Amino acid sequence: MPKFQFDGLADFFAMGGYAFYVWLAYAFFFVVMGWNLIQPRLERRRILKLLQARQAREERNATVPTQEEREHA
Amino acid sequence: MWQWLYKLGSPRHFYEMTTSFLPWLKGVTYFLLIVGLVWGLGFAPPDYQMGDNYRIIYIHVPTALGAMWIYVMMAVMAAMHMIWNIKVADMVAKSSALVGAGFCAVALFTGAVWGRPTWGVYWIWDAKLTSFLILFFVYIGVIALRSAFDSETSGSKAASVLTLVGVVNLPIIYYAAVWWNTLHQPPSELSLSSQGANPPEIWIPAFFTGFGLIGLVFVFVIMRTRNEILWRERRAQWVQDLVKQEEGRA
Repeated sequence: MPKFQFDGLADFFAMGGYAFYVWLAYAFFFVVMGWNLIQPRLERRRILKLLQARQAREERNATVPTQEEREHA
Repeated sequence: MWQWLYKLGSPRHFYEMTTSFLPWLKGVTYFLLIVGLVWGLGFAPPDYQMGDNYRIIYIHVPTALGAMWIYVMMAVMAAMHMIWNIKVADMVAKSSALVGAGFCAVALFTGAVWGRPTWGVYWIWDAKLTSFLILFFVYIGVIALRSAFDSETSGSKAASVLTLVGVVNLPIIYYAAVWWNTLHQPPSELSLSSQGANPPEIWIPAFFTGFGLIGLVFVFVIMRTRNEILWRERRAQWVQDLVKQEEGRA
């Protein structure tokens, strides 16, 4: 079983003096991966909303009587 | 097997198959990534020369390899789209470009940040780094070229051609550190014994992050491709039904 290489959390965050480089690299990694995870979700929601609005509009238009129907009434 | 692959070529089947497959893929991927990152950051022994700075390698190497493999996938999809006119292939290619550009950016950034304390510079115009920067520009070029066309068909044709031309860059990147004497080191040899230069304690977590990132590539590409399918097939009856269903749930 591998053992924890640091003496406590403060030592872990210090990264043997390389804290700036290590955490900067990992921060960038998480930002890009997080964006890749969130952006398609927002995009999906946007597409569904748009298509729902379109459907609702088409249904509304279908219930409006045409010129011909109105003349008959 | 062939029938299964053939079915994936239909947008509807691709969408329905990934609906049930995606949650499993996400679960496995997140597990591998968490294990790999925690292990690499906290439990792998420090390198005897680079100290703890080498921990950046656990994200640098897999994202760099990933950026190249995503390009291969994108090129295969572009070829399939051009030869057989498979619509899903083009959608996967479009999704891959964005994901690949992101991986490329992470590989370049983490490499630069690692290079500062190790080589003394953030950037140097050596063959490996320069050819990798070109890969990033090719990704950006493919994305920009596609979006420059008003017509979807013209855009995907142009992007496919540029994608296939850009393939020449891949062997250059991969062998740059072998062919030329670059500052960037050639790929390390892994050793099975704990006395070797790269003992298992060091590279096993890299395998976790590596496979986790492969999973993540598929998660990202599938999510984007599903959006693309919904949009391009928006007039199909099954999408209309799906939209109605989603409305009830929201």
